[in-house]
Amino acid sequence: MTRTRRDIIPFLFLIIPLIIYIVWVIAPMIYTFYLSLTNWNGLTTPEFIGFKNYQKLFNDKVFYISLKNNFKWLGAFITVPVILGLGLAMILNGTIPGEKLYKMTFYLPMVLAMVVSGLIWGWLYHPKGGLINTVIVATGLVEKGPGWLSNRDIVLWSIIIVAIWRQVGYVMVLYLAGLKSINPHLIEAATVDGASGWQTFWRIILPLLTPVTIIVLVISVIDSLRAFDLVSVMTRGGPANASSVLANFMYIESFNNYKMGYGAAIAVILFIISLGFIIIYLWRVMKDELEY
Amino acid sequence: MNRKIFLITIGLLISLAMILGGCTPETVTIVETVEVEKLVEVEKEVQVHVEKSVLIYNSMHGDPEPRAADEEIVKNFMEANPDIEVIHSIVAHEDFKTAIRAYLTASTPPDVLTWFAGNRARFFIDNDQIMDISDVWESEGWNDSYPKGFQALSTVDGKQYFLPTSWYWWAVYYRVSIFDELGLEVPETWDEFLAVNETLKDNGYIPIAIGTKYRWTAAAWFDYLNMRINGPEFHINLMLGTESYDDPRVAKVFEYWRVLLDNGYFLEDAAAYAWAEALEPLIAGEAAMYLMGDFIRDSVPDEIEADLDFFRFPIIDSSILIGEDAPTDGYFLAANAPNPEAAKQFLAYLGSVEVQTYNAEQLGRLPTNSGVDRTLFNESQQKGMELIDGADFVAQFYDRDTTPEMADEGMNAFMAFWDDPDSIDELLVELEAVRQEIFVEE
Repeated sequence: MTRTRRDIIPFLFLIIPLIIYIVWVIAPMIYTFYLSLTNWNGLTTPEFIGFKNYQKLFNDKVFYISLKNNFKWLGAFITVPVILGLGLAMILNGTIPGEKLYKMTFYLPMVLAMVVSGLIWGWLYHPKGGLINTVIVATGLVEKGPGWLSNRDIVLWSIIIVAIWRQVGYVMVLYLAGLKSINPHLIEAATVDGASGWQTFWRIILPLLTPVTIIVLVISVIDSLRAFDLVSVMTRGGPANASSVLANFMYIESFNNYKMGYGAAIAVILFIISLGFIIIYLWRVMKDELEY
Repeated sequence: MNRKIFLITIGLLISLAMILGGCTPETVTIVETVEVEKLVEVEKEVQVHVEKSVLIYNSMHGDPEPRAADEEIVKNFMEANPDIEVIHSIVAHEDFKTAIRAYLTASTPPDVLTWFAGNRARFFIDNDQIMDISDVWESEGWNDSYPKGFQALSTVDGKQYFLPTSWYWWAVYYRVSIFDELGLEVPETWDEFLAVNETLKDNGYIPIAIGTKYRWTAAAWFDYLNMRINGPEFHINLMLGTESYDDPRVAKVFEYWRVLLDNGYFLEDAAAYAWAEALEPLIAGEAAMYLMGDFIRDSVPDEIEADLDFFRFPIIDSSILIGEDAPTDGYFLAANAPNPEAAKQFLAYLGSVEVQTYNAEQLGRLPTNSGVDRTLFNESQQKGMELIDGADFVAQFYDRDTTPEMADEGMNAFMAFWDDPDSIDELLVELEAVRQEIFVEE
């Protein structure tokens, strides 16, 4: 009797958050799956059309542009900010004068809302009066700076740079916390054994940072898949879809073109891609837990 | 044992989720009602004793000046009709467009809404979301006091559904001082227009300012070139989906457009600017012309406004009818409006000479009711009205005349063409595929 009660009690406590979670997260998710099989336009009653939306999606050029852009974003995101963030963390972990100020400066971009970052960078990228092009032209090397947000070949990278600028400080903070948790005796021992700085880093510090690295990578992957704000503010996916990402594509189709069913199908694809990464992550974490 | 209970709980919760999932569209309604109730409560404190019928009015007049005027109109209406309580919510333009379908499908939709005449209204009429207001038109005598063109714009199958209240014209705006300095005449034909561009460019000016970040500024060029080259009838049929995009006549539009692009007459890096950002070179006196709606005046400093004039988009083929873009805004009642009587009363007020005169005075809006005293308007407004009077056909605008998704694809194609004019044949084939999908499926 007492045993059963003890078993039930945790679930009783969980019931309210579970209900909230189900109503606001799980149910809309299931409903989105259903909508993706309909031709709902936001006005009429949804009509079941099978997998037509998906069929259309897989023949949609913009879908592939967006998908490719998401993967470019992902590729950039799991390399550049991670390396820069780790580098900064290593530098600032030591005792250098004014380290707090540096840490704060690097973390500051993260504090700004995405939309604000997007707007500010939009001004920096301004083709004529923007800081970047003004500086480039002032060097006298070129007559005219590039159209950062109007050239289809570079627009995506212009936006990714902003995202990276924002992310570096965040990654740095995560690594700083990780570095603090490393037992200094291990590093001392390595030094006593005659290991060089590089050897210590590669053989001791980096392996000990693995849990942090996994978290950083997962955050980077998720952030790059849900990239939306910067694109929406800076270019709205333009010019001619050159900087479109899946989330933005989904938004335009659903709320600009009112193709809710089609938008839902894009959302489902995005969900499946994210799920893939999450499963890989969980699988890794569980495996590690079993080892210890 | 504990596993079993866990599974049962989860099972129950999932089935609950399924049930709730079926109700998701209603969540929109819930949010809506809560908001409304809150507002009512606030108002109640002030006037407890009067039994009032409640009228919900959602508008998209989010900019400061129109907002103030809109609020004033509601205030005046409530003073004149103490038995009606208007709950007025103002939402920014773009957000309003996003939310309108949720408003209309809510279990208690707003009674009165602002909207665009033309295809955008037609879609809701065809889906039975807009109330037939023929009786208001009849009782207010609008069938006599509104010009034929606006009547036609509001009528489907002999019934009126829409109340057009204000409109503006499109034209090529230019800096008078630059034209004077170079001794340029206002161009009337295409050749003259090209010559003006060339002279401007030779003298170091940017001939045409344009910011295409949000794409619709480019759509204006398509509208005008198509109407000037192929005539307004072909244009509107293309918008309605009965002509095809791979028609050689459409390709011709891009040949003309291309001349301007190849010669570098447009502002460089146009895609980096929103329409108002591209005003900077015009204001700074670096750029000379801008194809734009009359709201351009609201966004330039007074001293520049004095130096700004406009001319009719040049005629390319004098043998065809003249079409102009003159987007019209107005109001409609939701088909399921909870309080249709008060709504019709309010609508009658909005369409009255009194309110239209007020709007004309406050905002410089052009009225639709011919009862409004025309001497109220300044010289340029008179000129704008003449411009439209002289047109054989009045279109709304690319993204108002065709469906939202066709407009979206079309404007993307314009941007791709802008970036790479050689790709136009390919783009038109794609657009045609989109058109068939959209219009043939429907």
